[in-house]
Amino acid sequence: MALVTFDNVSKFFGEVVAVKDFSLEIYDREFIVLLGPSGCGKSTALRIVAGLELPTKGNILIKDRVVNDVEPKRRDVAMVFQNYALYPHMSVYNNIAFGLRMRGLHRREIDRLVKEAAQNLGLGELLRRKPGELSGGQRQRVALGRAIVRRPVVYLMDEPLSNLDAKLRVQTRAELVKMHRLLQTTFIYVTHDQVEAMTMGDRIAILEQGLLQQVGPPQEVYDRPGNIFVAGFIGSPAMNMFPARLQTRNGDLFADSEVGSFRLDAQQAQGATDASDGEVMVGVRPEHLYVGGGEGSGAVSATIGAMVDLVEYLGNEAHVTFSRSDSTLVARLDARVKLKPADMVPLTVLVENLHLFDRASGRRLA
Amino acid sequence: MKSGDAATAALPAPVPLRRRYPWLGGLSRFGGGMVFLALPLFLFGVFVFYPLVKSIYLGFFVSDPFGHGQEFVGFDQYREVLTSPDFRKSLLVTVLFALYTVPTGMILGLVFALLANQRLHGALFFRTVFSSTIAASVAVAAVMWLMLLNPSAGIVNWVLGQFDLPRVNWLTDPQWRQTWDSGPALMAVSLTTIWLNIGFTTLVLLAALQNIPQELYESARVDGASPWSLLRHITLPMLSPALLFVVIVASINAFQSFGQIHILTRGGPLDATNVIVYSIYTDAFINFEYGAAAVRAVALFVLVLAFTLVQFRFLAGKVFYR
Repeated sequence: MALVTFDNVSKFFGEVVAVKDFSLEIYDREFIVLLGPSGCGKSTALRIVAGLELPTKGNILIKDRVVNDVEPKRRDVAMVFQNYALYPHMSVYNNIAFGLRMRGLHRREIDRLVKEAAQNLGLGELLRRKPGELSGGQRQRVALGRAIVRRPVVYLMDEPLSNLDAKLRVQTRAELVKMHRLLQTTFIYVTHDQVEAMTMGDRIAILEQGLLQQVGPPQEVYDRPGNIFVAGFIGSPAMNMFPARLQTRNGDLFADSEVGSFRLDAQQAQGATDASDGEVMVGVRPEHLYVGGGEGSGAVSATIGAMVDLVEYLGNEAHVTFSRSDSTLVARLDARVKLKPADMVPLTVLVENLHLFDRASGRRLA
Repeated sequence: MKSGDAATAALPAPVPLRRRYPWLGGLSRFGGGMVFLALPLFLFGVFVFYPLVKSIYLGFFVSDPFGHGQEFVGFDQYREVLTSPDFRKSLLVTVLFALYTVPTGMILGLVFALLANQRLHGALFFRTVFSSTIAASVAVAAVMWLMLLNPSAGIVNWVLGQFDLPRVNWLTDPQWRQTWDSGPALMAVSLTTIWLNIGFTTLVLLAALQNIPQELYESARVDGASPWSLLRHITLPMLSPALLFVVIVASINAFQSFGQIHILTRGGPLDATNVIVYSIYTDAFINFEYGAAAVRAVALFVLVLAFTLVQFRFLAGKVFYR
């Protein structure tokens, strides 16, 4: 059963389109991540669920009930804001208790819940402090505590980790995942950080310019990006992309490009029949490029000659930039590879690892 | 001589300030501070501290018409003036005047600021209107209200007449149906004062309102707060420094009001608006009793000081500074 449903939701701010024809079903107890570059509409979508923005068109449903006109406080949602929005004049205790007080719980019950939440989050010693006296990480915990203590049907999180330093972010990421498992509740999590999305989400919904690009489990989104935008956005270093033309020779279908000519396998040829005019984009992930000839494994491969431009050693691996004609290719290679700029090397790619997109529409072909 | 030595010789090592000016040594901390404080200390000395001390001093003398102390009377004059019925009356009038103007002005200013802070069409227009009285001088405002309150030609009585209510001699009726000791004149003067101060109050509170981060409201709304709870738990606490500031400034203003009283009522009728400041003026410049005026001035100083301390004592704890 869908817990939260976006039914063709659009939101305009004057002329500006924030979200357009957005439809998405979010399931009970799911951890879904709304991912996209800044300004893509992901935060607006979240705020529409919270009731802080009204959809211009379409419906938003919580538990199968249209809540377009329902005030935020009657939606039974809790939200964690990017800069926490803690009440600066209240102690940590009162910050956490505020939502419970507003709901008219008994004082003793509030006390029990606040202390329990504070204990779980390691805030026990800090209950009398004001937010101004806390570190960034502690404030973030108070913001989480304020949400958890409410036990809502859905948690909304708007980039909750973006103000933390790198180390704390990784740590809190894991804690949030654990928290989700423990609470058994739906999380809608907004971020622009693909690592957070990949590591935390049950599913990822990728937005760009207000439009939903693709929804799916992280691995699926990575392995089979639905269009050129998703292919380029997910993965670091980004997927190599180059334009190609489909040509039939001797009964086989080839993708001819500046980089090389690739004989497509049967499945890809099948998908490629959808290409509008034979103009495609070919994509290959950096980890799918190998230095050396195409011997072994028996899989269909293509080998091209390329010149080393730049080698970046990261300790566990090396990112090597090659150039061939006017195109550049980035390969993720073993750190022990000994390459230096201007070396000419053969680069091999397995044809099964190629991604094919329609150049006009950006849609995935195979 | 080598060129390197020449370069070194051209740049002597910097001499520490204390070695170059030994007299700076012991005095440097205190004296250095005094250098920076000299101008304000001089100005305060001439215009505040000296007159204050002189007033206290003058209170011990019966003065001649030129303000020179003539006959030393010790505390007799203090005792005589401070226990006189007319001082008690003016003390009561002053406190009533403050009570009429300060809370009303603050609440009205808060309401105006909240209204002007709404994101509605024409909000800018209302912001301008609400804060416009800041540009009116005391004299202009007083004359304007003098006309509005005119018993026969003023619009206030005309409005009362439209509702078949009796006309009121706002500025001259010493008593209002025998029940209200201060009569309508004090209310009329208070009204003028509130009108005068409302622009400043609104402006300060509006600026403070716009400094409250929007997410606090969003967060509280998601947390379940009603509009009333938002006002009580977010807006008012976040406004508290501005509110304290406004209350203290308005109180001090109330205790020091003179212009509007001088133009509207001259302290009358029957001393109904004879606040301490006005009685100082009357004593000093009408009756030429500088000594008695000095005593009243000292009393007013103590009153304002005490009032301000009390406000700090009881309100400062409720104020949250970010």
